Amino acid sequence: MTIDGEYTFRAPRETVWELLQDPDVLVKALPGAKKLERIGEDRFDGIMRVGVGPVTAAEWSVNVQLKDLVPPESYAMQMEGKSPLGFTRGTGTVTLVAEDEATTRMHYHGDVQLGGKIAGVGQRLLDQVAKLLARQGLEALNREVEARLAR
Amino acid sequence: MNRSYVGQSVPRNEDRRLLTGQALFVDDVQLEGMLHVAFLRSDHAHALIRGVDVSAALARPGVAAVYTAEDLGDYWRPGPLLVPPPPVEGLTFNEATQVPLAKEKVFHVGEPIALVVAESRYVAEDALADILVDFEPLGAVVDPEAALAPDAPILHTQFGTNLAAHVVQGHGDYEQAKAEADLVISRRFLYDRGAACALENRAVAARWDPKAEELTVWDTTQAPIPIRNGLARMLGLLESQVHVVAPFVGGGFGPKIMMFYPEEVLIPWVAMKLGQPVKWTEDRQENFYATTQERGQVHDAEIAVTQDGRILGVRDFFLHDTGAYDSYGLTVPINSQCTLLGPYSVPSYHSEFKAVFTNKITVTPVRGAGRQHGVFVMERLLDLAARALGMDPAEIRRRNYLGNEAFPYNHQIIFQDFSPLFYDSGDYLPALETALETIGYDSFREEQRRMREAGRHIGVGVVSYIEGTGIGPYEGARVTIDPSGRVRVATGLGTQGQGHYTAFAQVVAEVLDVDVEQVHVTTGDTREFGWGTGTFASRGAVVAGSACHAAAQAVREKILAMAGRVLEAVEEQIELSDGHVRVRGAPERSLSLGELARMANPLRGAVKPGTEPGLEATAYFGPDRGSTASGVHAMIVEVDPETAMVEIKRYVVVHDCGRLINPMIVEGQVQGGVAQGIGNAFYEKLIFDDSGQLLNASFMDYLLPTALDVPRVEMAHRETPAPMNPLGLKGVGEAGCIPTGAAFAQAVEDALPEYGLEILEIPLSPNRLFSLLEDAHDH
Repeated sequence: MTIDGEYTFRAPRETVWELLQDPDVLVKALPGAKKLERIGEDRFDGIMRVGVGPVTAAEWSVNVQLKDLVPPESYAMQMEGKSPLGFTRGTGTVTLVAEDEATTRMHYHGDVQLGGKIAGVGQRLLDQVAKLLARQGLEALNREVEARLAR
Repeated sequence: MNRSYVGQSVPRNEDRRLLTGQALFVDDVQLEGMLHVAFLRSDHAHALIRGVDVSAALARPGVAAVYTAEDLGDYWRPGPLLVPPPPVEGLTFNEATQVPLAKEKVFHVGEPIALVVAESRYVAEDALADILVDFEPLGAVVDPEAALAPDAPILHTQFGTNLAAHVVQGHGDYEQAKAEADLVISRRFLYDRGAACALENRAVAARWDPKAEELTVWDTTQAPIPIRNGLARMLGLLESQVHVVAPFVGGGFGPKIMMFYPEEVLIPWVAMKLGQPVKWTEDRQENFYATTQERGQVHDAEIAVTQDGRILGVRDFFLHDTGAYDSYGLTVPINSQCTLLGPYSVPSYHSEFKAVFTNKITVTPVRGAGRQHGVFVMERLLDLAARALGMDPAEIRRRNYLGNEAFPYNHQIIFQDFSPLFYDSGDYLPALETALETIGYDSFREEQRRMREAGRHIGVGVVSYIEGTGIGPYEGARVTIDPSGRVRVATGLGTQGQGHYTAFAQVVAEVLDVDVEQVHVTTGDTREFGWGTGTFASRGAVVAGSACHAAAQAVREKILAMAGRVLEAVEEQIELSDGHVRVRGAPERSLSLGELARMANPLRGAVKPGTEPGLEATAYFGPDRGSTASGVHAMIVEVDPETAMVEIKRYVVVHDCGRLINPMIVEGQVQGGVAQGIGNAFYEKLIFDDSGQLLNASFMDYLLPTALDVPRVEMAHRETPAPMNPLGLKGVGEAGCIPTGAAFAQAVEDALPEYGLEILEIPLSPNRLFSLLEDAHDH
């Protein structure tokens, strides 16, 4: 499954970059995120609770490794998740472009593989759910950014 | 004999129990202290197992035990090769059979890695989530062609290849036939995977009685006796210490003849290990991953014909996807290879297949068992040849049928029963003519034209098939006159809805002249009858039915001999009718069979030396070769080219399964088979992604045809008696589903002549047909 998209933040690029590296912020923004902590340089462990369509939500233990960081422009990541519903593995890239001093455009691209029950039962809905989760997460991040700028 | 039961549609003896909910299914088995099992199954199609940590699962309240491959010790060993490869010269076969629990590597999604035993299934399922498996994912092999590419990941590394088998068979000189042909048609045909989707999933329950030193296993298997024998061997018990019961089973269709499934090996072992009864019932989602499937093949086939449509030869190269293991040997591809020849005279045949391992669920026979593929390829080639020659599809078949003088006919290739492919009998042309007449073939073109003027697209398809049925090695039966006067029959088969309790009762009732309802049949209980192989290959009625017949004949002889002694008459004067023996011309000298049975088992006094007690006999039947059923399917479809939806308007089956025991049961078999065939043709397809993940493992996404999609089949029976058994029986279990795809393809093409469509793949779907129509339109 491929997830591609763009999102525009009303904030300077440096601010967006900082947010994206801050697990305390991400845990609030990511849908279903219960826990996210830095366990090493550019390495995060977390727990998310996600279900898809007919598949009851389950807890996913997630490990994310950030790579090729070019602050504040771009980074790549490698992600693995496991749950009783199956597994997910993927890679992604995030690029931040400063449209102007107060606007940042994000391009994101992910290639995700799913396995197990989640693939067998949820497949039909996965694309839509992934897009929806991405959008919800980014909107939550944007709210966080705006709140931070307003302080 | 005064009455005739064979050939009558008597109501089924088993229906009272089934319809009132009194029939025992494995999941109904509830025993005190029973524990429940759930299996941890691989999420990966191909991966190394670096480690399994079950500590958290063991700590969960309510969990009794957790086992991995390591815990099985010496009990862990690969399963048996169920069917060895047939004796074909130059054959290659690489044997890789399933294991009870994956140890170092998983080969398909759903392969079991660990099992949890707990006080309830709920707790067991929850505990599965506590188990941590450290996988190292490997590249997956999904497409059978890609499996043989030089850089493909290898499943079973000991072979250094994904090739499971290579078999070449044939007769005559195809190259010469081709050189002499007026027309050669060559195409690639695809047949993809589906699931059997029995109403009842698999289930196993087991109890070890330490005082009796006896293991009882309830299993949804189609082969209870081989399961008993194998369990005894594996567990170090005598066969007499293992009692296997296959009670009522809600549909078999082939996957339940596979053995040994990991669950069948493990549940009895757990029951013995823990000293408590244990049960596992497969859920529907598990069924998609844990029960064997069928049908992925790719054929590159060619037919050489003369200008007047006579077949000179056929050549076929095909790949057979055997999935992760090849425990069932080569039954499926050998059936494809043999059944392709159909009811036709094919003077030269070259058929070569390679079976390949893929990271998908193991392939074993599913109703039809490879026959579909062969029929699809042959019937499509004939259709394409007919089109190229401007000949009617029915006519090209007519011109190529084996004539009645041809039987017995030897195709000079080896069939799944290891004997030459040998047609015992057949009468093909009248079946075709009956089908054409029933469906109104002659007037159809006129109707088709009228409908076209009204903007509607209807088409007709008519195809032929043969079905090798009733193969050996043997089955047996014991017939006993109960002192109550009722008759007990026991046979070793398992029953999955075929009406054995009635069909076998009819055979026995006719010989002994008692009411069918007075004949009590037991199947699938190894204590009742301990010799036999199982229910498969449309052989129950033919092989076990013939054994029932022989045992009943032997009992009849005993009855007449004993009645002669007791009634003081010569045997020839004894008349057996209506559950009584009488002296001819002296009706007052009469005894009921129950009275006679009691006298045959005296408590005191002396009997003649050599006398066996009771009125009982056991007999076996083992045919040298199977019997060849055949038939014609015809259907009329209406296609909406805008939506690519297809409605089946009429469906006609003219089949010949020799002498019929119970026409109603035969009709049920055919109707059910057609429903599965229609599912296979237009609805059902298992979809795997590039990494071997099954993407439609539920009935939300895996489409089964509904009652709305399956018309009531119009049937005509033809009875060409089989010469190989005393009742003239042939099997009919798979007849309904074998040629359905081929008939469907022909009918859809016929409905849309302007598209010049060539349907070379099954299953279709509305989506797939839509894109085929788009492609045809673009050309």
